[in-house]
Formats: sequence, C-alpha cells, structure tokens
Amino acid sequence: MSGTNAWTRSRERMRRFPELLAACAGEAAEYGKCVCATAAAGSGKELRKDLCAKEFEALKACFRSAAKKTVT
Amino acid sequence: MHRARWLPVPAAITLTSPLFAPTASGRSQSERAARRTLSEEALGRRGRAVNVALGGCARWAAGPRWSSLLRAGTGAGAALWRPPLLPLLLSVSAASPAAMKRRQKGWAAALRDRQQFEYLRDEVGSRVADRVYDVSRTFPLALDVGCGRSHIAEHLNKDFVERLFLTDISEDSLKLKKESEIPTRCVLADEEFLPFRENTFDLVMSSLSLHWINDLPGALRQIHYVLKPDGVFIGAMVGGETLYELRCSLQLAELEREGGFAPHVSPYTAITDLGNLLGQAGFNMLTVDVDDIQVHYPGIFELMSDLQGMGESNCAWNRKSMLHRDTMLAAAAIYKEMYGAKDGSVPATFEIFYMIGWKPHESQAKPARRGSANVSFGDLSKLNESPNTGDPKMG
Repeated sequence: MSGTNAWTRSRERMRRFPELLAACAGEAAEYGKCVCATAAAGSGKELRKDLCAKEFEALKACFRSAAKKTVT
Repeated sequence: MHRARWLPVPAAITLTSPLFAPTASGRSQSERAARRTLSEEALGRRGRAVNVALGGCARWAAGPRWSSLLRAGTGAGAALWRPPLLPLLLSVSAASPAAMKRRQKGWAAALRDRQQFEYLRDEVGSRVADRVYDVSRTFPLALDVGCGRSHIAEHLNKDFVERLFLTDISEDSLKLKKESEIPTRCVLADEEFLPFRENTFDLVMSSLSLHWINDLPGALRQIHYVLKPDGVFIGAMVGGETLYELRCSLQLAELEREGGFAPHVSPYTAITDLGNLLGQAGFNMLTVDVDDIQVHYPGIFELMSDLQGMGESNCAWNRKSMLHRDTMLAAAAIYKEMYGAKDGSVPATFEIFYMIGWKPHESQAKPARRGSANVSFGDLSKLNESPNTGDPKMG
C-alpha cells in the first residue's frame, strides 16, 4: 500500500506508545494500583466503568504532554 | 497441482472469559514443569542479522507413489481439488476464521524479520524432536501437522525419520519452510481433513498448531486414522494458563474503561481435558506433560506485536475489530502493576502441553485380566517386617 492512510498513521503513532508510557511510569503505577485494589479477590468492591477515572485522566494527561514534548 | 479439499468451518466458538486469577491445579500433574526464562539473546529482538535462506518445497506435483497414500474418497489420481462447500452461515463482511488464519500465517511467514518472532516455535519444535528421539525406533514415514515453516524437522535426523510430509493450511508458510536434511513433501491441507489413507504413517507430529483447530476431537480422530497400528502421535499444544496475564490485564482495562469486556485471548484446553480427548480418539498409552515457558517483555505492546509476528493474532468470528487506545494504555499500566518484575519487564506465560499417544497394536502391553493376580497387596507390608506382625490379608 503506497502512501499513508488512517491505518498507517495510527500505527506510526502507536509505535511510540512504549516510550511515552515509560515517561509516565508514576501515573501508570497509580492507576494500576487503583484497579488492582478494586479487582483484588475478596475486596468486596466490584470493578465498574470509570471507577479509577481520576487516575486514568492523570495518566492520559501525562501521556499527551509527553507526546507533545517529543514530537519532532 | 494437487490440493486437499478445504472445508470452511462454521462459527462454533464461544469465547467466555474465565476468572482473573489462574487456578493452581493446572500445573500439578507435571514432573517436568519448570519455569524457564528465555533470555534476550535467545529472543533476538534486537539487532540480530536476518539471513534466511528461502527454501521451497522440492516438488508440488505428485508422482504415482505419493498418490497411493491418498484417501480413496478424494479421488486419488486425477483432480483432487473440489470447490469448497458453501457454508450456511456466513457473515457478509467477515472472512471465515480459517481463511483469516491462513492469511495471518502467510503474512507472518513472509515478514522480512520473521526470525525474530520464531523463538517460541523453535524452542517447542526442538523439544518435540527430543521426544521423537526418546522413542527408540526409526520411522520410515512421518507427518507434521500444521507445520508452519517447519520447526521440528530441522532438529531431526535422516536416520530416525526417513521421509517426512509437511502439511499446513498456509501455502506461503510451506513455500518458505526451513531447510532440513530429511527429504520432505509439502501438502496443503486442513488439519481437520487430512487427505491420507488409513494406516499410512509411523509417526505424526504437531507443534503449536492444534490450538487453532475448531474441532479438536475430530482432528485427533483424523490423526488416529492416518497412523499405522503401533504408530505414535507426538504433539505440542499451548493450553491451560497460557497468556493469562495478558487476558486478565485486558479484561480489567476494558471493564474499567468501557464497562464490559470482549474475549481477546482464546480459551485453551485444560490438561485434564486433553487426556480425555486423546483417549476418546482411540490413542493408547498416553503421556501428557506440561512445560511452563515464561518470556519477559518490556511491556504489553511488545508482547502483542510479537504475538502478531508469530501469526497468532485473533481470528475468531466474534472478535472485536478494535482495541481502543485508552484501553491499551490502561491495560499496559495494569499489566505492569499486577505482573511486572523488579527490572521493569513483564512476564508472559506460555504453558505447553506435550502429548504422546500410540495407536493400539497387539504388541503393546495390556492391563492384566481381572482375577489373575497371584500375590496380595497385604504381602507388601511383610516385605521388610518380621513374621509376628501380620496384617489381615486383602483380597
């Protein structure tokens, strides 16, 4: 397939995901802890949509700023 | 060109996601189970020079000798290929799972850097070859079912296996197969319909392809059919808790981000079911053991791209066509938090079941006839004791 299309462009963006995630390790750990605490067996709470929305927004904001910073 | 008849398989997959934590019982059976970590070098993810000789099958056209092995129903001799039966249920947009899997395998085999993704197949192929050597026999005619690019044959010796047939559903994989010293023939065939006559092969091998078969009992019966009496089937299959970390991370992420979850990792056969399946197919003297291979990746994205490069992408009827970026991000964070190692890498478990089954034959040992015992279990306790302490005899 010559030229770029939506799929090739989005795949290019996705290739940068690992490095951008590495820049946001703290927020990622926070979000992970929130989900694990809720989903752990015997915690009594059920994992619902947007239960950890705050932590995820923080992660996404960090991710976006990392992407903006490193774009050439 | 002679081709096996390809039957499109109807949608028969219900993928229901199991619970989060892996069950401990799955690993209790094996004596050989050990956790091994493939090192970075073995993975060759970085900077390994790719220098793959493109091997092809020697000849596609069959001579009279080969066609005598074919099943009578396929009209051996002239035209083998019949047009595929039209499936009754077919979603308009989607390709059938078998066609999708064939394309994925062909794409993976044609990659320029395919060597990087073959570490698991090479490792399991060498272990299957080990088991073939453990059997103290030579095999004049052998079959490799779902061979892919043929990862077992390169470890085998011409003295042990004299002639080898390679079958796969993907033509591109067969054309790009690896070199081996054994003379081989390639056959394009679906594992669920092997186009060979009854009692043809001394040995049937299969490595890491049975998990994509819809009708596994049927496929095992096919293998039993083409084996000679006192022939052996040695197979390796992913099963049990393979990729449970990936499955759980994606489930939790989708639940939290989207409110529900779709199946992304296939449901695998449990080890207890495998024994039953082999027994039902008619195999004798079964041996099933488990190997746990843990591979460490930098993160979930590398794991998913490696699975794609191996040709193991999802191809179920009811697969979700998209994985949202938010969900992927969430899954990456959850994976690292739940399963991450100290050095920042994340493990992925591949649980490989190795199975050995024999086609029945009079020369094989049978259980003794009922009532033919001439010693009692009660005598066991008297082996090392003085005659004074007598236990009541058991019948």
